[in-house]
Amino acid sequence: MLLQLRNIFKWVNSGGQRLFLLKDINLNVEEGEFISVMGPSGSGKSTLLNVIGMLDNFDEGEYEFLHEPVHTLKEKHRANLYKEYIGFVFQSYHLLDELTVKENLEMPLLYKKFKGTERRAMVADMLDRFNIVGKKDLFPTQLSGGQQQLVGVARALIANPKLILADEPTGNLNSAQSEEIMGLFKQLNSEGVTIIQVTHSEKNAAYGSRVINLLDGRMIK
Amino acid sequence: MLRNYFKIAWRNLLKNRLSSFINIVGLTIGISACMVILIFVRYESTFDGHHSNADQTYRVVQHNTLPDQMVYWNTTAYPLAEALRNDFPEIDVVTQISGPVSRVFKVEDNFGNVKRFEESQVLFVDAYYPKTFNIQWLAGDSNSALSGINSVVLTAELAKKFFGLEKENYNSIIGQTIFLQNKDALTVTGVVANPPGNSDHQYSMLIPYKFFKINNEYFSMNWSGNYQGTTFVVLRNAKIRETLEKKITGWKKKYLNPQDDKRISYALQPLKEIHDETLYGSSPGGYIMPANILNTALIVALFILLIAIINFVNLLTAQSNSRSKEVGIRKVMGGGRFNLIVQFIFENSLVIIGILALSVFVVRILLNFLNTNLSVIDVQLELGWSHLGILLLIGGLTLVLAAVYPALVVSAFKPIQALKNNIRFSGTNRFNLRKSLVTFQFAIVQLFIIAAIVLAMQMSHFREMDLGFSSDAVVITETPEFEKLEVYRERLLGDMGINKVAFGSGPPMAVDGFQLGTTYRLPEQPQEKSLEAEMKIADIHYLDFYDMELVAGRNFLGNKEAFDEFIVNETLLKPFGWNAEEAIGKRIQINEGQATIVGVVKDFNNNSLQNEISPCILLNWTYYQSNAFIKISDANHLSLGVIKNIWEQTFSNSIYDYHFLEDSIEKEYMVENLVFTGFGIFSILAISIGCLGLFGLMSFMISKKAKEIGIRKVLGATLFENLSLFTKEYIGLVSLAFLIAAPLVYYFMNQWLEGFTYRIELSFWMFLSGGFVTLIIAILTCSFQSIKAALANPIYALREE
Repeated sequence: MLLQLRNIFKWVNSGGQRLFLLKDINLNVEEGEFISVMGPSGSGKSTLLNVIGMLDNFDEGEYEFLHEPVHTLKEKHRANLYKEYIGFVFQSYHLLDELTVKENLEMPLLYKKFKGTERRAMVADMLDRFNIVGKKDLFPTQLSGGQQQLVGVARALIANPKLILADEPTGNLNSAQSEEIMGLFKQLNSEGVTIIQVTHSEKNAAYGSRVINLLDGRMIK
Repeated sequence: MLRNYFKIAWRNLLKNRLSSFINIVGLTIGISACMVILIFVRYESTFDGHHSNADQTYRVVQHNTLPDQMVYWNTTAYPLAEALRNDFPEIDVVTQISGPVSRVFKVEDNFGNVKRFEESQVLFVDAYYPKTFNIQWLAGDSNSALSGINSVVLTAELAKKFFGLEKENYNSIIGQTIFLQNKDALTVTGVVANPPGNSDHQYSMLIPYKFFKINNEYFSMNWSGNYQGTTFVVLRNAKIRETLEKKITGWKKKYLNPQDDKRISYALQPLKEIHDETLYGSSPGGYIMPANILNTALIVALFILLIAIINFVNLLTAQSNSRSKEVGIRKVMGGGRFNLIVQFIFENSLVIIGILALSVFVVRILLNFLNTNLSVIDVQLELGWSHLGILLLIGGLTLVLAAVYPALVVSAFKPIQALKNNIRFSGTNRFNLRKSLVTFQFAIVQLFIIAAIVLAMQMSHFREMDLGFSSDAVVITETPEFEKLEVYRERLLGDMGINKVAFGSGPPMAVDGFQLGTTYRLPEQPQEKSLEAEMKIADIHYLDFYDMELVAGRNFLGNKEAFDEFIVNETLLKPFGWNAEEAIGKRIQINEGQATIVGVVKDFNNNSLQNEISPCILLNWTYYQSNAFIKISDANHLSLGVIKNIWEQTFSNSIYDYHFLEDSIEKEYMVENLVFTGFGIFSILAISIGCLGLFGLMSFMISKKAKEIGIRKVLGATLFENLSLFTKEYIGLVSLAFLIAAPLVYYFMNQWLEGFTYRIELSFWMFLSGGFVTLIIAILTCSFQSIKAALANPIYALREE
């Protein structure tokens, strides 16, 4: 078992009323799964992903990640946990515009205290694997959306995470680019990486092994 | 890691060119201005600190107890030095100087060409002078150079000027002869380096004291008078100062007559306190920089730096809006808060260190500019390694405030909100830190502006006040030969452009540090009842020349070798309780003799306007008519050339020099002018920095409010309504800042004005106009960019990503 959510609640207080963002979420994720989270806008998909990614807190319930009780961990400990095991991919790529492709890939490694030679090797490996060696000195704005997302995925993968969290990774891409990215996810999944993606598209969801539907913060069948 | 930080920093600087530029320029101005002030303050507060004996050296000052007041002199009787030297073994060295004075010299070169020079900084010093004060000898023997009589030591600059030396072969002129006032031959016995600018002993040549004594025998033996000799002592140990002062108090009766013994007491003033102590007045040829002015300057420097730092911080935190995405990404990628703090501190420090380096260049340029263009006082400011401490201090303060704080703010962003660009820096209505900083900044700006207005009013009050005499278009020249006065007068009056000519010891207001002092009493009163008075030598044209009004009696009949008539001012009569009419015909005793009061002149400002009118006596003496007063009527001052010709024709052996009375009067307000100039410059600086900051802040505000403007415009808001969106906030802040600044300025300006006898009243409009000016400038700065935003097509602002 990679992670387990038990009775997760998250809410905000708005105008004297309690507005639930997540309501009684129970979810088990095994290693090697490829899960798609679906639902209309505002149903809590991204919130769920952020909670799983430990970027956001929840108000009630229990969360175990690799048998560590996340809800009891201190901020710093939690950060170490996601730093080591989780990679993120975003809808709008979130590459740093001031860094080149190569430097963007290197950035997470800096925070994980890899040595210079190791970093260079890992970056070179990744560039090679994604076939973007020729683009290594370009800045994100010089790339197409699909290429940027490719870099985004490469960056998420570079430190060998167990889990990739992707928030509408193809939301800003055209259909050809989408297919390329989804194909890549499929391949990564077959190599053993666990993936949880948020998506609107049935077509993309079909790449996954399981679909979770959310409505108003609640999981429905 | 650092390389990565460096890259990001550099690329961000380039990306936000405008705001980087504003940031750098603003802080550079602030740091440079602050440094210049600190260097100036250091310069002024280390006057004469370079002498190796500085801590044990004291100036002997004289306190005179008069029936109605105490008078403080920084000079003492001439024989005092010799007596102290003989009677007190605990004093290491006693030295005495006289001057600096102005003298004319004749130099003849090897080919028989004669050149004449007038030197205004001739200092008479005894052989002990080089043992007391550090002098750098370039040629000659320091032990013997000043022990002769007819010898002279030149500064390097003067040696070059007199002898046309091209290389620094100063030894070649040792033994050469120059002539003083066309008669005394003086042999060059030494060449010394020019004294540093921050010394009250400014000289271009040193002449042995013995020479001076021989030529002024009466003065040099007289214990009761005071003829501008300054005495310094070097104590073996600074601790014995008080016991020594007590000893001297008991000892002085050995030389002083009983009345003088009662009147005169001596005190020892530490050398390092001379330059900023106003009690004893400025030493001859020097000036005083009061300690409170220096303290004010320090506060001003701090304020300017704070304004600049606040700008920097405000801009950086506002800018961090655009960095929030980066913070979010970095945190998600595993960067901890500490990593980010380090990164941003590194990045900000890099910019600040660059700015510090830039400031060093700017400071050098500014110092050069001050050295050549500061007309109020003569300074020689230089940037040296000794100022490294100042740079580090300012740099350190700036780093802590401007690098650390923004880094702490930015690094605290929560990743999710940061990625969504959802950080709320400032609820528009809350009173947050940024608004308080801007308010503080505006308060300082207004403080400067209002102070500058008050100072300007006081200065113009000085210039425009009725002094009781007319000073327009009065040219003053020296009159080296008394016997030629009438010839000179007639030649001058022959010119169409010259209206009136008078002779006397000095103009009605004592200027250029020249004032003849005496004491007065009724002939039947004992000497200790004598009161202090100023005396002026005048001729029969003097009153008419200066439009001075006689309230009783008549003018002089003529000048005599033994004066017999006095014209006195009204203030002089007060101790006797006479009215003007009663005073006519009364006899008065002064130090120089006795005479009858023939006229009473309406009070005029015989002292510069910081001080009150003091008792003043005009004498019909032929002695000391050393100045000619010439009234010229043509606006173009064409007569100046005529005066020069006539002067040179009349007094052929001297060098012509002239000055306008109004310029000399202006010089009396040196310190006030300096303060005014300073506040003028620094209020402009403060405004510029403030505006730069506001300009920078506005660009961020506008990018934040673009959507709001778009919505308002679609819903029908006019341009003006949209503009007021930006300006109304700043109007509020400026007004609040005004409420903080106004009472502060009121307090400080009141204190400052209290130092003047003739002062303006603080009025409401000075404050309001200061506030108003700031408001207008703030609104203009805001509008500059917001007009563009308000005119923009709302479609672009409202388009969703």
